[in-house]
Amino acid sequence: MTQRYLILEDGSAYPGKAFGSLATTTGELVANSTMNGYQEIISNQIYHNQIIVFTQSSIGNTGLDQNAYESILPSAKGVIVREYENLATDHFKRISLDKYLKQHRIPGIYDVDTREIRHRLQKYGNMKASIVDVADDHAFDQLHATVLTNQQVAQVATPKPYPNPDEGDNVVVVDFGLKSGILRELSRRNCNVTVVPWNSTSEMILDLDPDGIVLSTGPGAPSNLPSSVLKMITEVQSQAPMFAIGLGHELFALANGARVSKLRVEHHGANHPIREIITNEIFFSGQEQGYAVDPKSIDHAKLFITHVDLVNGTVQGLRHRDFPAFSVQFSPDGAPGPKDSVGLFDDFMEIMERRRGYNGNGY
Amino acid sequence: MAMDINKVLLLGGGPTNIGHENELDAAAFERLIALKKTGAQIIYVDDNPFSVTSEEIQPANVYVQQVNFKNVVNIVEKEHPDAIMATTGGLNAMQIAWQLSESGVLSSNNVTLLGIKPADLRKVIDNQKLRELLTEINERVIASRIVADDNEAMDFVREVGFPVIVKPISASHDTSRFICNNTDELEDALDVSFKRTYIKRCSIEQSIVGYKEIEMVGVRDVNGNKMLVSGLEDMDPIGIHSGDSIIFAPTQTLINEEYQALRTATFRIMDSLNVTGTCHVQFAQSRTDSNYFVTKVSPFFTRNTMLAAKATGYPVTYVSSFLELGYSLTEVKLPAKYSKYLAFMEPTMDHVLVRIPLWPFRDINDVDQHLNTLMKSVGSTIGIGRTVEEAIIKSMHSSQFSPRDILPSVSKVDDDDVINQLIHPLASRILILMEALRRGFSIDELSELTQIDRFYFYKLNQLLRAQSFVVNNPMSPESIQVGHKYGFGDGMLAELWNVNISEISKMNQDVKYQVTYKEIEPSAGEFLENTSIFYSSYELENESHPFEGKTALVIGRGGNQLGPNSAADYYTTQILISLKKTGYKTIIMNTNPNAVSLTPQLSDKQYIEPIQLGNILNIIDIDQPDVVFLPGNRHYLANQLQQFTNLNVIVLPPDQKVASYKENQATTAVDLFVQKGEILPVTTISFFKHDNRTDIHHINDYQEPMTNWESDEVSLIAQAIDVVNVGEWQGLVQVLFDKTATGKYSCTGIRPVRITETAFLTKTTGINWINVLVRKYLGLLDMNSLRNQIVPTEHKRYSIMAAHFPFKELQSNRNEGTTKQEVGSSLSFENFS
Repeated sequence: MTQRYLILEDGSAYPGKAFGSLATTTGELVANSTMNGYQEIISNQIYHNQIIVFTQSSIGNTGLDQNAYESILPSAKGVIVREYENLATDHFKRISLDKYLKQHRIPGIYDVDTREIRHRLQKYGNMKASIVDVADDHAFDQLHATVLTNQQVAQVATPKPYPNPDEGDNVVVVDFGLKSGILRELSRRNCNVTVVPWNSTSEMILDLDPDGIVLSTGPGAPSNLPSSVLKMITEVQSQAPMFAIGLGHELFALANGARVSKLRVEHHGANHPIREIITNEIFFSGQEQGYAVDPKSIDHAKLFITHVDLVNGTVQGLRHRDFPAFSVQFSPDGAPGPKDSVGLFDDFMEIMERRRGYNGNGY
Repeated sequence: MAMDINKVLLLGGGPTNIGHENELDAAAFERLIALKKTGAQIIYVDDNPFSVTSEEIQPANVYVQQVNFKNVVNIVEKEHPDAIMATTGGLNAMQIAWQLSESGVLSSNNVTLLGIKPADLRKVIDNQKLRELLTEINERVIASRIVADDNEAMDFVREVGFPVIVKPISASHDTSRFICNNTDELEDALDVSFKRTYIKRCSIEQSIVGYKEIEMVGVRDVNGNKMLVSGLEDMDPIGIHSGDSIIFAPTQTLINEEYQALRTATFRIMDSLNVTGTCHVQFAQSRTDSNYFVTKVSPFFTRNTMLAAKATGYPVTYVSSFLELGYSLTEVKLPAKYSKYLAFMEPTMDHVLVRIPLWPFRDINDVDQHLNTLMKSVGSTIGIGRTVEEAIIKSMHSSQFSPRDILPSVSKVDDDDVINQLIHPLASRILILMEALRRGFSIDELSELTQIDRFYFYKLNQLLRAQSFVVNNPMSPESIQVGHKYGFGDGMLAELWNVNISEISKMNQDVKYQVTYKEIEPSAGEFLENTSIFYSSYELENESHPFEGKTALVIGRGGNQLGPNSAADYYTTQILISLKKTGYKTIIMNTNPNAVSLTPQLSDKQYIEPIQLGNILNIIDIDQPDVVFLPGNRHYLANQLQQFTNLNVIVLPPDQKVASYKENQATTAVDLFVQKGEILPVTTISFFKHDNRTDIHHINDYQEPMTNWESDEVSLIAQAIDVVNVGEWQGLVQVLFDKTATGKYSCTGIRPVRITETAFLTKTTGINWINVLVRKYLGLLDMNSLRNQIVPTEHKRYSIMAAHFPFKELQSNRNEGTTKQEVGSSLSFENFS
């Protein structure tokens, strides 16, 4: 068992034992407190450029399940956990967590005090970190000098459109770093899906004659994307029902004039109560957010708030006043996390249904 | 919005027994604290003499009566409460609530049932109704049918397939259940079963033996908002009662999809029953696909509701008390030490809890000791760690009968026996699982034989490897580090290496990680909570800090076994309460998840740590207590601790070894209180009630005052005072007498008053004797006030405490037991005739 180090921007160094790849990496350190679904978390593209600290003390217990990947090529920069179990549960007992991380060049460190790290992040806010062999001055210099790319979406989203055929509604999914959970829910509802690249123009999208458009989740800051994306959103939202999730939600807000700001501490977990304002219903969902829509910046002539996080007060859902377009910050697909709000996909189906009733003649 | 309730009748849990320890009293106690905040008047009914709850309520509002329909009706008609809370009284109280509704008592007295509406409660109490409800909401239940002949049974099997379980209805024998895997076995089973049934009917059901048993505990408010408190996973498969299973929290072997499906199902069930408060749902989860069955729905407090609370640090009882009263989850205000958001934040854990059951077979050994669908354990202990291994070792460490610091093991069984026990598990099966690994059984093979997930064998294997590393590399810093990581305490290392524990302490200074204490709180480090509940781990950050001012450490009794254990927990709790009143900051360490003494409101700090020398010394090192209380008769631990002369250790009651018996017979006793040179008579006791056995080991029933007290008491007290040598005896002392055929009393012995009896005296004399003892040993006793309170020869009625034994539950034919076989007691009063 090789000893390696997690080093933090604030100068602290945590010795631990290596698993997975032995690569040296740098990323933003984020803590995830979801208790199930390590596989979904590690394979979610939103963790591009991030090192994930699991607060649940043990991962790897259930091996890896072919149906639980959120992407085929995960892009997280590292996994930090108190302990891991290297169990393979697939048919051929081939894929264990250690092997999976090695295959995808993701380094892991276990046997560290993850609770202390969680406390540190809460106290000092987001920070960069590296996984290194030696925690010397050189390593810290490298860490401080590293500038993380802001081209994250371009790196993880599909460069070419591809179909996921079925016989139902024609849904175009704009890929900003799509998680499979969204596709899974659309498939369960028999949608005929076309996934298109993040930089598709409104013309390309509308040419596919969509019944509805989904703006997907993805990594990084929404401000990293060019204004052409916002232009596309404003152009398509008036033409077809739109459902935006995660990064998609943040872009939807920006496109409609709101501001988005970075959270002092990223929130990744499934433990915050979310209130749906119109029904007063409270539920839980997987939340993985580094940014939040600033409620004061919302132009109430265009948007209204539909959901709010009761713990930190952040905006969790928006709806357009004029168009059948709505968005949520959280992950209603429950991969991982509670399925309390999976009905939002049914709402989306219903809106598409209603729109067809108008025979495509607008609203 | 909250209901307008001014008077609540709270139903108690009754005497402890198999399937029900002190957890209901602990729940009722916490509930009381919540109810007091609403200003409501509380009426309580319970006949458990070791109930802490009943002592925290105005005596005039406590009915010491058996919790049954007739008594509750009388109380309702006399007291006219606005509402009844039955959810902390177990299934018995829920059934009474249902009877109250069916018989119209609730409606005619205008009483509201809290937690669940009578119409919904009916769906839970009546199994057929529950099946209909679950089917209606598309939740799967096990197919079952009542059949009258072989053909009907065959028809059923054609529908659901093998395996099935056949059971005679109204049978001459209580327990016969036959698992049938094929037609031959089915024919045999039906043959036997139809012979045994009086009404020519058998039940046949789909067998889910071998499925995973998963439990979910949730809360729901009046607006339909729901939150999952915790999932629990039984290591042992369906076929072994959950109460006899090793339980892990959080769930260990479910993938997200499976876990979320069970969470959603739990919510759907809570919605369909309109539960307000807590609900515990049990599932059988297939090992091979995502199918599951709902096996049990309990919209009330259960053992595992309390376990979920212990696992997460979430105040389930406190919160659901408000929910039952109609508050919404967003309206519940938690005590100041929790962060303000917490009432409605779904608990998330960054540690692992393991619960290991304790069985009574050391004290009752002539019964079938196989584990099956009938619960046999009488208690349990928990271990908490940052890793699964650490939690397993700590819970095993706490669960052994021996107080010595060794890892239990079985080596004297032959290979055939090992295989036999893998298939037909006996108590403490985890030892056999480890032994099988030691003997080279493969993990796949073991998983196949036992239907236990491979994951657990991986973990046990790692423990065995760690253990052999530690054994083979004695006294090395690396060994200590490995030992610590896997949960071997210093005491255990000292035993393994056969050195004094101080040697290990010295070596610890050279080891990288020192012991640290982590808080058990429900946000996994997101918020700086202050739950004051800790467990140890060898890591970087220590979160437990000593108090300012005088501090007392009370060492809890650990898991319940037979004997005076629930009384010992009562005793421990009273010590905590007394210490707090005298201005001490109090610290409790315990491992019993059902203990009242671990209730967060009762002490300033709680440690869930093995009650072993090494762990105790570590805590003493951190907290520097001024005094250490050791309740209960624990000679070994007392001797060990008394070696450390810098510690101020107080053993209560004083060691039973000082008891002296002239004969093993007694019918009567005089209880005295001795303080320095002064002897105060307390009262007199007659020992037998239901039978005439007077053997000391069979004295379980007490009556206060003694029979014929009018004529005999004064002279007997005088006789007793003559016997007591005040130089040797201090505190509560009992002088034993045997009444001979001639009507004379001859002294047969003298001993400290036992734990159970101290509780009894507290209830009958109106003086808290544990408080008196605590004050005596702290040098704070006010003798004048005590003298004025005691009126030894004036009595208003007989108080009777009768022991209960778990013979029926264990299918034993015995009916009289020894003091070591008690599982609980009941209290009652009789007027003088």
